[in-house]
Amino acid sequence: MLKVNNLSAGYGKLQVLYDLNIEAPAKGITVVVGPNGAGKTTLLASVMGIAKVHSGEIMFEDISITGDLTHNLAKKGISYVPQMGNVFAELSVMDNLNMAGYLMSRDEAKEKADQMTEIFPVLKKFIRRSAGTLSGGERRMLAIAMGLMKNPKLMLLDELSTDLAPIIAEKVMMEVARLRDDLGITILMVEQMAKRALEVGDTAYLLVSGEVRYSGKAGDLLNEPELCSMYLGIKADTDEIASVEKPTVEGSE
Amino acid sequence: MAPWMASGLIYASGLALTAGSITLLYIVTRTFNFAVASMATFGFYIAYTGVALYGGTPYQFYPLVIIFGSILGLICYYGLNRHLLRREAAEITLMMSTLGYDLLLLSFIQMYADFLTHEYRLFPRRVTLNVYDFELFGERAAAIILPIIAVVVLTGLHMFLTKTKFGVAMRATIENPVLSGASGINPDRVYMVSWIIGGGMATLGGAFMAMAMTGTPTMGMFTIPLMFAGAILGGLTSIYGGILGGFMIGMTEYAGIFTLSQQLGPWVLGYRMGIPLMLMAATLLLFPRGLAGIPLMKILRSLGGSKRGES
Repeated sequence: MLKVNNLSAGYGKLQVLYDLNIEAPAKGITVVVGPNGAGKTTLLASVMGIAKVHSGEIMFEDISITGDLTHNLAKKGISYVPQMGNVFAELSVMDNLNMAGYLMSRDEAKEKADQMTEIFPVLKKFIRRSAGTLSGGERRMLAIAMGLMKNPKLMLLDELSTDLAPIIAEKVMMEVARLRDDLGITILMVEQMAKRALEVGDTAYLLVSGEVRYSGKAGDLLNEPELCSMYLGIKADTDEIASVEKPTVEGSE
Repeated sequence: MAPWMASGLIYASGLALTAGSITLLYIVTRTFNFAVASMATFGFYIAYTGVALYGGTPYQFYPLVIIFGSILGLICYYGLNRHLLRREAAEITLMMSTLGYDLLLLSFIQMYADFLTHEYRLFPRRVTLNVYDFELFGERAAAIILPIIAVVVLTGLHMFLTKTKFGVAMRATIENPVLSGASGINPDRVYMVSWIIGGGMATLGGAFMAMAMTGTPTMGMFTIPLMFAGAILGGLTSIYGGILGGFMIGMTEYAGIFTLSQQLGPWVLGYRMGIPLMLMAATLLLFPRGLAGIPLMKILRSLGGSKRGES
């Protein structure tokens, strides 16, 4: 679905990513983990045409999207949920959903917004409130709902669990798994909550200083105690790690 | 209505629109539009040409004034601003580019004034447009009509920004351009529309102001400090704040100069610009974010609370 070939990218003249090769297979969750400053967010920003691509190529459905403008990528079915500023704080929840459905007809957007409030009932409660007044967890729900409004083929999720209480972060991860299992959406997810993300994910990449240090099955990365403890802060309790099983969403099997 | 108040209302309505135009373009495109000066002057000349050549009142030419202003805005966007925004130019570069555009427009204004003299034997270098005005309810019509038009424009703008899909998309882009792009909103279109609206507001504001002051090819250059003062007083973060700031600056100038000239003599007329600028400085000392930073709801709540406390 998404292939990043020999990508070097950054902001202006500042290079953050070095010769990166990453692939996000269709209908799977690809997790990108790594320490702070590894270039995880820059990777997503490069795909979305926000960061500057110095060299390399980004392919979506076997067509190059390198250098495409952000709004054109949205039209092609790529949905991006940024880590920060992922909702329009000054607009109401309803207007946020409407903006997420900007490319749809009014009726289609309304129908989709209704679907979103069914998936995330908390949003229905606050539909007229400005998004800036929502709690961190509610904002994330709104951000995901906005991402989903666009009927995406590919979702880019940036640090969904940041600033969330563990129990809410857990719920958010379950929602991500549901997107793959129930809706068949391809997901490229950057995450600080590495252990939980790797448990949910199918494929994983470990980024360190803008370079790939590991690529393979997500669960297998958890069996690399040295990498886990050095870069992800996951303690080398190998027995526990080895016994990790991929969780399934209730009702998905 | 006292003459100073009538003139003040007319002038302040024009200044409100120009300050609103500056604020709109700044919050959408990060551009301090210095060309607002010559755009306003062009507004005056379009209205003047209309009444001088075809008769009637200046009001009937306002739609033409707005269309012409929108075209000037479009030229500025496609000729300069768009390319610089795409190259992520610094604010100072964006600002200086509009200064260049302003000087270009000023040259065209001078040429146009000469053209009117040579072709139509008009004398457009010192014009009092209010001679084409009429009386309404015993007052100068402009003192009633222009504030109403300003309110209609503001209401229309508010409805556009809150009730239409594209208007909400504009607000979304103003707040978060990255997220709006990711939602499929084309920022290029948002910037273009803001220049259309901003250009129209600037020229209409100039046509208004010429009903209270002498219209000259350099009237925009002389009033631009006050246009910016209005936008800055408004806080530069809210279009409504900019419009209110412009109105306050205009009214303060007329009320202040009237009061001071009564007390101190006519010599103070030479310092008329100082009064609103002092108001701006004092307001910014108290509220550094301008009118938009005044916690109005908090003040109203505390007033309500103190009243309940008194009872």
